Formats: sequence, C-alpha cells, structure tokens
Amino acid sequence: MLHMIEMIGVSKVYPGGCIALKDINVKIEKGEFVFLVGPTGAGKSTFLKLIFREELPTRGQIFIGGKNITRLKPKEVPYLRRKLGVVFQDFRLLPQKTVYENVAFAMEVVEASPREIKKRVPKILEMVGLSHKMNARPHELSGGEQQRVALARALVNNPDVVIADEPTGNLDPDTSWEIMELFNEINKNGTTLIVATHAKELVDAMRKRVLQLENGRLVRDEERGVYRGET
Amino acid sequence: MKLRTIRYFFKEAFVNLFRNGWMSLASIGAVASALIIFGSFLIISINFDYIAKNVESQVEITAYLEDSVNQLVLNQVEYKIKSIDGVKEVVFVSKEQALEEFKKQVGEELLEGIENPLPHSFRIKVETPQEVAAVAEKIQQIPGVEEVKYGKGVVEKLFKITHWVRLVGFAIMVIFAIISIFIISNTIRITVFARRREINIMKYIGATDWFVRWPFLIEGMLLGFTGSLIAIVLLTVGYNYLYEMVKLNIPIISLLPIEEFYDYSLGLLTIGTFLGAFGSGFSIKKFLRV
Repeated sequence: MLHMIEMIGVSKVYPGGCIALKDINVKIEKGEFVFLVGPTGAGKSTFLKLIFREELPTRGQIFIGGKNITRLKPKEVPYLRRKLGVVFQDFRLLPQKTVYENVAFAMEVVEASPREIKKRVPKILEMVGLSHKMNARPHELSGGEQQRVALARALVNNPDVVIADEPTGNLDPDTSWEIMELFNEINKNGTTLIVATHAKELVDAMRKRVLQLENGRLVRDEERGVYRGET
Repeated sequence: MKLRTIRYFFKEAFVNLFRNGWMSLASIGAVASALIIFGSFLIISINFDYIAKNVESQVEITAYLEDSVNQLVLNQVEYKIKSIDGVKEVVFVSKEQALEEFKKQVGEELLEGIENPLPHSFRIKVETPQEVAAVAEKIQQIPGVEEVKYGKGVVEKLFKITHWVRLVGFAIMVIFAIISIFIISNTIRITVFARRREINIMKYIGATDWFVRWPFLIEGMLLGFTGSLIAIVLLTVGYNYLYEMVKLNIPIISLLPIEEFYDYSLGLLTIGTFLGAFGSGFSIKKFLRV
C-alpha cells in the first residue's frame, strides 16, 4: 500500500553538529490528522522542514505519495510543494495585497488560469468564513482572521497534505478553537493534516493521532492520543 | 511559458517599480551617475583615440631628390619607392610645385627674382604609422635620393603618447565599469531584500525559481534602461556643448563628430540594461535558497 508520507531511518544533523532528529520511522496515511507534539527544540520544525524539502535528511529516506523526495532535483522541488499546503505561526501574508489577492497569488504562482482563479478564490474564502473581508488588507484583520487567510492560501491549490507549524501559537484560546475546527473540517474533506503544536488542551480535546518528539527521537505514536507533558 | 505569465511578470515589475518609488529612483540615479562617469571617460578615451589617429594619419615622409636627376632616374626612384612594403601612396612634387607652395607660405614678394632653390621631391604615405621609420630608412638607400624627412623623434614621441592615452583610458573605463556593477547590484540588492518575505512565500507556495526571478530581472532591466537613458541624454547634451566649444575656440583640434557617439550610446543602453538584469539576478540568488 502507498503511504501518504513515510520516513525510514531518518536522521538530521545540522552543520555544527546539532542533532535535530534521530532515526525516525513513521508512516502517515492519506486522510489522517496528526498532531506533532514535544517541547521546543525537540525537532518538530525540522520534521516539517524535511517533509517540505526545505532541508535534506542526513540519513534515511522520505517518501511522499510513493515518491522519494530525498532524490528530487532542485528543479522538481516546486512541484512537490504544490502538493503540500503550509501554514505558519506568523501567518506570512503579503501586507500590501488584499485578502483576495493573497489567496489568488498562490494560484498565479502555479500559473492557474484567471477563470479558475475567479471561481476558486471566493469559494475557498467562503469556506474559511472570510467572504465579507475579501478586500481588506492583512493589517485590518485580527490574528485569527489572518490565519484563516493563510489557511485559505494553503488550501486553494487543492494540496494532498496541509502542514501547519504552531498555527495557533499567536492566537487566543477561543480563536485557536475556531482554527482547529476549521482544520477538522478540511480533514473531513480528505486532506491529510500534520499540525505541530504546543496547545495541550486542543490536542487533548481533539483525540487525534499524536506523534511525540523528544530530543530528536520519536518517543510516542498513539492513535486518539493526548498531549501529555513527560513520558 | 504562458503569455499571461509574461504579462504577470511585467505587471509585477512595474507595480514593484512604483511601489518602491524612492528606492527605484535611487537605483535609477545610481545607474545614471555610474554610466555618466563611465560615459565621460569613454568620451575622453575615444576622443584621444580619434585625435591620435588623426595625427598619426597626417605623418608622412618627404624624400628630396638630388639636383642632377633626370626623368629616367625620377621614374626609377618612384618605382622603387612604390615597391617598398607598407607604402600606401606616393605623390610627386616637382621643383615648380614646391616653389608655388613655398610662395604661398612665405609670400610672393620675398622670392621675386630668385632662382628656384628647391629640389624635386616625393611625398609618401605609409599603411601604418608605426612603419614610418623603417620605410624612411629604405627610401634613403635608393640612389638619387638626397635626403629623407619625416619628423624623426616627433613621430616616435607621438606614438608613445597615444599608446599611453589608450592604455590609461582603457584602464579607467574598466575600473568604472566595475564600480557601476557594484553600485547597481547593491541598490537592487536592497530592493530584493525589502521583498525577501514575498520571495520566501512564493517559494513555499511552489513557485519555480524562474517564476520568482523574472519580475525582479525585468525590474532591474527597467531600472538599468531608464538610468542609462538619462545618462545618454545628459552625455549627448554635454558632449554637443563641448564639441561646439572646442570647434569655436580651438579649431586645430577636431573632436569625434557627435553622430559617431550615437553608436556608443546604443552600447551604453545595452550595458545599462544588462547591468540592471545582472545586478538583480545576482542579488536575488541568495533569497531563492529556501
């Protein structure tokens, strides 16, 4: 069977000798919702960067949709990334573009047709509940709204996997809940989700698969898991 | 590449150009000043070259013949001179013609009633000015030739001067070309740096490197093009003024005609545009590594 994401014996040592990940073996199936938890510096960000091919593993193989991404040429990387949507803690929206333009931008970059863009962007903005703020600029929005825009941008090209690095790190608890519910909805539509987070309450309440990293090692992999501080 | 993508590149380039208004003006200013300095030295250099070539081409050999020569010897001498390698043109000047010319120079009255003291002579032009000394030496050997003059010493000095002027002019040109590249790539680096977030996001979304690069390249080319256009206009106006000034006040020196400078301005325009593209491509490289 083809796994959505598979890591085999993956280690990552940064130049200078800092060991970020040690011998990670993990499989994530299509349509799964996975929380990536662990203290700061445990290797969560590196884990996501490896999937995103921002970093290459020092050892081991990584497969996405059956394709070995450690063997990709630099020229092929953009096409891998088009199958992945990414959401950051700091939103990373373009301040001078409107909400609509920020989302449309993601489609322009992959050379979608203007007709497609006009059809798809309002749809996706409706889905994240921002139809009424289409012409606002990011600084006119609340943090939660900005993260919804970022999510809309990540989703607009129909990615197989959405990766989120601390998506609620800058948000208050109520807003964080709304974002998580949105993630849940996206997941129900069949998109695989990997969310790195510190939000204990959210993880405990959602009861999804939990991967726990500590000092670069995968110390726990639990279906319908909870956050738990220590092991 | 799709047509609407190309349109997108140009749209982005223009939007960025105006959005970074002051930065763009600074870049254009840098390109313009660099190219004005570069262009000024270019003008000086090509003019030195032009003047040097002019003087060089005026260098000629005069071979004075013995008084006793008859028509037969005259023909032989002419034939022998013509068969020397490097001789381009031989003109015979008879005693009478020489006297006429001399009269014109010093005035008719002074020479009234005097028997013509001037000998027959040949005026010889050579292919390359550097051959003058060698050719003169050979002409001296021909029987019937009494004396050969070619401004010995003066010619050699002139060659030395033009040689150095060319060398120094070229060196200064190269130095200023490097300075121009540095200024341009630095200013564009600042614009690219101001938009590193945008580049970063584009790369995360899955933009290819060339998709990211093109708008910046076009922006750089537009900056370089505009800057060099300004430089060319100012240089042309300035050179025109200088040309007229020199023509009026120092008529002996003839500068390179302004029309010939137009060819060089096309070159400057190309250089400016290329420098802009080069500078921005250079500056963006680092930010593409995501």
